[in-house]
Amino acid sequence: MQINKVAVIGAGVMGAGIAAQVANAGVPVVLLDIVPAGADNRNAVAEGAVAKMLKTEPAPFMSKAAAKLVTTGNIEDHLDLLRDCDWIVEVVVEKLDVKQALYKKIDAHRKPEAIVSSNTSTIPLANLVEGMPQSFAEKFIITHFFNPPRYMRLLELVTSPLNSADTIKTVTDFCDYKLGKGVVVCKDRPGFIANRLGVYWLQSAVVLAFEHKLQIEEADAIIGKPLGIPKTGVFGLLDLIGLDLMPHINASMASALPREDAFHGMNQPLPLVERMIKEGYTGRKGKGGFYRLNREKGKLKEAIDLATGDYRAQARARVEAVDEAGKDLKKLLTHDSAPGRYAWDVVRKTLCYAAALVGDAADDIVSIDEAMRLGYAWKWGPFELLDKIGVDWFVEKLHAEGGLVPPILQAAAGKTFYRVENGKRQALTLNGDYVTLERPEGVLLLADIKLTQKPVLKNASASVWDIGDGVLCFEFTSMMNSLDADIVMLLNQTIQLVQKNHKALVIYNEGSNFTVGANLGLALFAANVAAWSEIEQLVGLGQFAYKALKYAPFPVVSAPSGMALGGGCEILLHSDAIQAHAESYIGLVEVGVGLIPGWGGCKEMLARWQAHKKTPKGPMPAVAQVFEYISTARVAKSAAEARDMLILRDGDGVTMNRNRLLFDAKAKALKLVENYQPPEKPVYRLPGPSGKLALKMAVDGFAKLGKATKHDIVVSEALANILTGGETEYFDELNEDKILELERQNFMKLVRNPDSLARIEHMLETGKPLRN
Amino acid sequence: MPTYKAPLRDMRYVLYDVMGGDDLTSLPGYEDFSRDTLDAVLEEAAKICEEVLQPLNRSGDEEGCAYENGVVRTPKGFKQAYDTFRDGGWTSIACDPDYGGQGLPAAVNTLVEEMICSANLSFGMYPGLSHGAYVALHGYGSDALKKAYLPKLVDGTWSGTMCLTEPHCGTDLGQMRTKAVPQEDGSYRLSGTKIFISAGEHDLTENIVHLVLAKIPGGPKGIKGVSLFLAPKFLPDADGKPGERNGVRCGSIEHKMGIKASSTCVMNFDDAKGWLIGAPHKGMQAMFAMMNTERLAVGVQGLGLAEASYQGAAAYAKERLQGRALSGAKQPDKAADPLIVHPDIRRMLLTQRAYVEGCRALAIWAAKMLDVAKKHPDEAERVKAEDFIAITTPVIKAFLTDVGFEATNLGVQIFGGHGYIREHGMEQFVRDGRIAQIYEGANGIQALDLVGRKMPAHAGRYLRALFHPVADYIEANKSNAALADLIGPLGKAFGRLQQATLHVARVGMARPDEAGAAASDYLRLFGLTTLAYLWARMAEVSLPHADSDPFHKAKVLTARFYMERLLPQTGALLSAILAGGKTMMAFEEAAF
Repeated sequence: MQINKVAVIGAGVMGAGIAAQVANAGVPVVLLDIVPAGADNRNAVAEGAVAKMLKTEPAPFMSKAAAKLVTTGNIEDHLDLLRDCDWIVEVVVEKLDVKQALYKKIDAHRKPEAIVSSNTSTIPLANLVEGMPQSFAEKFIITHFFNPPRYMRLLELVTSPLNSADTIKTVTDFCDYKLGKGVVVCKDRPGFIANRLGVYWLQSAVVLAFEHKLQIEEADAIIGKPLGIPKTGVFGLLDLIGLDLMPHINASMASALPREDAFHGMNQPLPLVERMIKEGYTGRKGKGGFYRLNREKGKLKEAIDLATGDYRAQARARVEAVDEAGKDLKKLLTHDSAPGRYAWDVVRKTLCYAAALVGDAADDIVSIDEAMRLGYAWKWGPFELLDKIGVDWFVEKLHAEGGLVPPILQAAAGKTFYRVENGKRQALTLNGDYVTLERPEGVLLLADIKLTQKPVLKNASASVWDIGDGVLCFEFTSMMNSLDADIVMLLNQTIQLVQKNHKALVIYNEGSNFTVGANLGLALFAANVAAWSEIEQLVGLGQFAYKALKYAPFPVVSAPSGMALGGGCEILLHSDAIQAHAESYIGLVEVGVGLIPGWGGCKEMLARWQAHKKTPKGPMPAVAQVFEYISTARVAKSAAEARDMLILRDGDGVTMNRNRLLFDAKAKALKLVENYQPPEKPVYRLPGPSGKLALKMAVDGFAKLGKATKHDIVVSEALANILTGGETEYFDELNEDKILELERQNFMKLVRNPDSLARIEHMLETGKPLRN
Repeated sequence: MPTYKAPLRDMRYVLYDVMGGDDLTSLPGYEDFSRDTLDAVLEEAAKICEEVLQPLNRSGDEEGCAYENGVVRTPKGFKQAYDTFRDGGWTSIACDPDYGGQGLPAAVNTLVEEMICSANLSFGMYPGLSHGAYVALHGYGSDALKKAYLPKLVDGTWSGTMCLTEPHCGTDLGQMRTKAVPQEDGSYRLSGTKIFISAGEHDLTENIVHLVLAKIPGGPKGIKGVSLFLAPKFLPDADGKPGERNGVRCGSIEHKMGIKASSTCVMNFDDAKGWLIGAPHKGMQAMFAMMNTERLAVGVQGLGLAEASYQGAAAYAKERLQGRALSGAKQPDKAADPLIVHPDIRRMLLTQRAYVEGCRALAIWAAKMLDVAKKHPDEAERVKAEDFIAITTPVIKAFLTDVGFEATNLGVQIFGGHGYIREHGMEQFVRDGRIAQIYEGANGIQALDLVGRKMPAHAGRYLRALFHPVADYIEANKSNAALADLIGPLGKAFGRLQQATLHVARVGMARPDEAGAAASDYLRLFGLTTLAYLWARMAEVSLPHADSDPFHKAKVLTARFYMERLLPQTGALLSAILAGGKTMMAFEEAAF
């Protein structure tokens, strides 16, 4: 069975977000909620939710078109809309009687083969289907999304023995391929996996911070980056979740978990937190939380002092234990200081609890690790963390302290939780054996390829891998995947190599960003020492390499995920095709640092807009459009938006699931191999000085409105020089080398400008653009 | 006996013709310092240096300081000379008018300091250290401390010291042991031993104000727990006069290679009363504040000694008759030709001269930037000047003292055997100058500061303050035929410096040892190239007058000599830098 239409009932933040993600996948979705008492508009709740989402940042919708796939309504008038839905998701309040009453209505309106699921996070599946007919129970499962549904990759799936294999596969495949989720199968236990462990971890970390008399900045510095946990740490994360939510979650966990569960030991009343909730300090959504921005004191960053309960200026989190330990986790966990003891206490409790979940919340360690990585954005799951620390060391320390050692840790004595055998990843099971981990069909990861292969080519900033069937994969490996001379040089070498021995090239990597663009630190340094010829040479080399990529006698497919900015965007523009992860953020952002795209970005965007059938005729429309994008450093906030900007063209693909990106890109490349012809060279007809004048007037207008700064005017003029073709006339036909020359000239002019250098420096040091 | 004439013409040339010193009067607070006023200062300074300080230089070296029972006696004549110096207002020229100073520009003060160093470096140590203490106290002291001590330091009735080094820590001040225990009245009690304290004890002033680095018990470990204190020899009484003797005493003085008339003391602090300067544990911040002026001053010591050595050697080379010119007798009527006819003697003299005059221009450029950084109304200009100071300070300190030492050594060589005996005073310059390469941050530390701290800061922004003017100058003059023989070599050297900079920055990021291995060679390359730029500019200034004025003709020729004979070192330095440090680091420790 296939899911072609979905219904979501309950248009709160989660329900609406789930509906948006279904729409993002291009699947029509019905979103229903109750009829508000006394309302004129009986659909106000669902309609309001969609309207609100269109204004939310980060956006739940990937495009405006996606929003149009949502049909709104209410559960009194529109249950008929469920008739042709293949999957109905219930996302209403966590009350069993409310849910069950709704299920009865759903059951009366659904088609027999429709699958029904609940997004409950606390109520066991068995309870939910109690009293429902067998035919309903067979089609009922739990699909537990994480907030926000578009961005959080975890989906916890709880099934029942009544479900058919097809039912489970249908939902799993849809969530995996269409919604892009990492589906983790959980047992029908309270809190499933991620929240069961996550809530215990958060609660322990808070309780122990009081116990060890730590300040929250210290606690977050410890239970954060060093352990591969996002830098919001514990208290920062609670501010995001909402302090007021915690007592409810804790209470529901406490009532559902058996008396011997370790959670109860940590579920202690915290008078300070109770007071904060009562006074409205519920976190970011309230007046502030553990941290707050004190606007009365000129946006002073403040933090709560755990000892006194008063706000004070936020301190810079320098913890000696963290500084001294560096990457050595053992050193951190044994540091003879309050922070060191705190680190050990939190880690010990969390990892032991995780170990106890094997056989309880999940059958295997892999699910637990995956759930924490995808649901809480931990870099390493608890068992991966144990491998980093050393299981035997950890167990020995537990013994020394007289603590209990959970069975899976006993099984791991003298072993690691993960190992690689014959190029296959294996994981430890409860009985001490290893089981081989197989990737699902259609998942291809460089991380796996690296277990068995050496790179075909490699230098300090990039590697090239053989991903089979005659396709090579070019991977950036530099710091933050920034582009530099080494990458450009290896790209040239790779083009030679593919030509000789292979069929196609994919440009792809598994970093959190495809690339944030050129290495600005190197560029600024070179500019500061007036190494103009080196800079110009690098600009020229990049232009040469990208052009060679474009006209190579084999297909090139770029597969971005995360940010692809500046020079990274330009690589995409020179590829034969793009297979983008849906969560790709692409744009030519050079003006933010006082520069213009110098590696062919201007010429490629111009060519795309000139060739587009909907662009009006005449010299200006394409130029004006590209000028607007580049001069405002517009970034597409999804692959769908990138398509609207013509960065993606017809024939370019989008992959929803990050793990399937390389497989899809490779497939696309192989498809292009048949009868491959390099693209034809574009011819440009540009408006010349009169067009430049028009653009200048527009910029002057913005400057008058205070929307363009002094240096914006300078940068815009350089950009206008390029896009209007310099001293050309509309009747002249220019080739792309002419535009490249203009890019080079204007880039070099700007890179010598101290105001541009100030922008670069500011960006490097603060991460924010300087508006000079 | 060497004589000394202050090179006033060259000083004025550098200040006004090359560095545009006239625009100092456009800076707020400097309006009154017209050329006439400043010239008068320089002339008076020349007079006291030539007539009072220089005659005591050799006698002071011969006699040295004497220590007895905690008391130090300076050599004969020093006390009287100091009184004359103080009465002439020379201790106050670069000080804040609010505390009785004359507020002269740093550019002028630097020239005066050069004269003092040429005439009598040992003597110069006493007011020099006082000025360092003045800067730290002025920058970071409380109002009460400033009011009580600054006027006395400025008028020279009291002197100052900087107490940093301890027996087991010099460069690595984090290991410091001297402690300061807080008292109920807000003061501190200081205990510990400081060594190598210049002017720690002497008989020139009625009181001595020690600025002391110490640790407050319980503070952060290492360098982050160091605080700065003020502890006077005599505690001021109610009238501000020296009163009760404080618990700080001189235990002994060092017997040194040079600057023998400067007392270098072991100072014992025994429950000495002191007051905090600045915030607790922020002592290094105050140190860094005075470091730029102090390091420039030490660089100028190398310059001053080289100037004195050159004057002695040039006079000797013209009067000493020895041998015949290789091309045939030049003065057949005399028993022999003077030394000056020999190319190798000229090589040595011109090496001295090219370094001295080039370094003078660099010192005055930096000093003027200190003035701009302090006084310019436009913040962007101040930041640019600060960047320039940040990047050139380590270069000036190390390069000027290194080539200064080389120049004084050449001075001995020109004198032959007479240079090696004490009578002519040439060897004293070598001995006196040797310390300048060591103290105020050894030259190797300066090189590390340059490549490890200054170069990478803000992705190389400090470098811009020097590299962009030089690059622009080369660009602007590349088709200037008159300067072709200068711009060519300058461009080549600058290219080497750029290449070395990019190289060191790149390899240093991945492997800090590589930056460390390149550091000293890189600093010298940096200094040589900077001087080349200044020589090109001086030649540009002098060329129009070269035919009519021997002074300008000599400038142009010295510039050419510099480009032809000294600048080529940059090629060798670049090769050494690119070769890297692998071989050095491959040595097992046991093999040394």
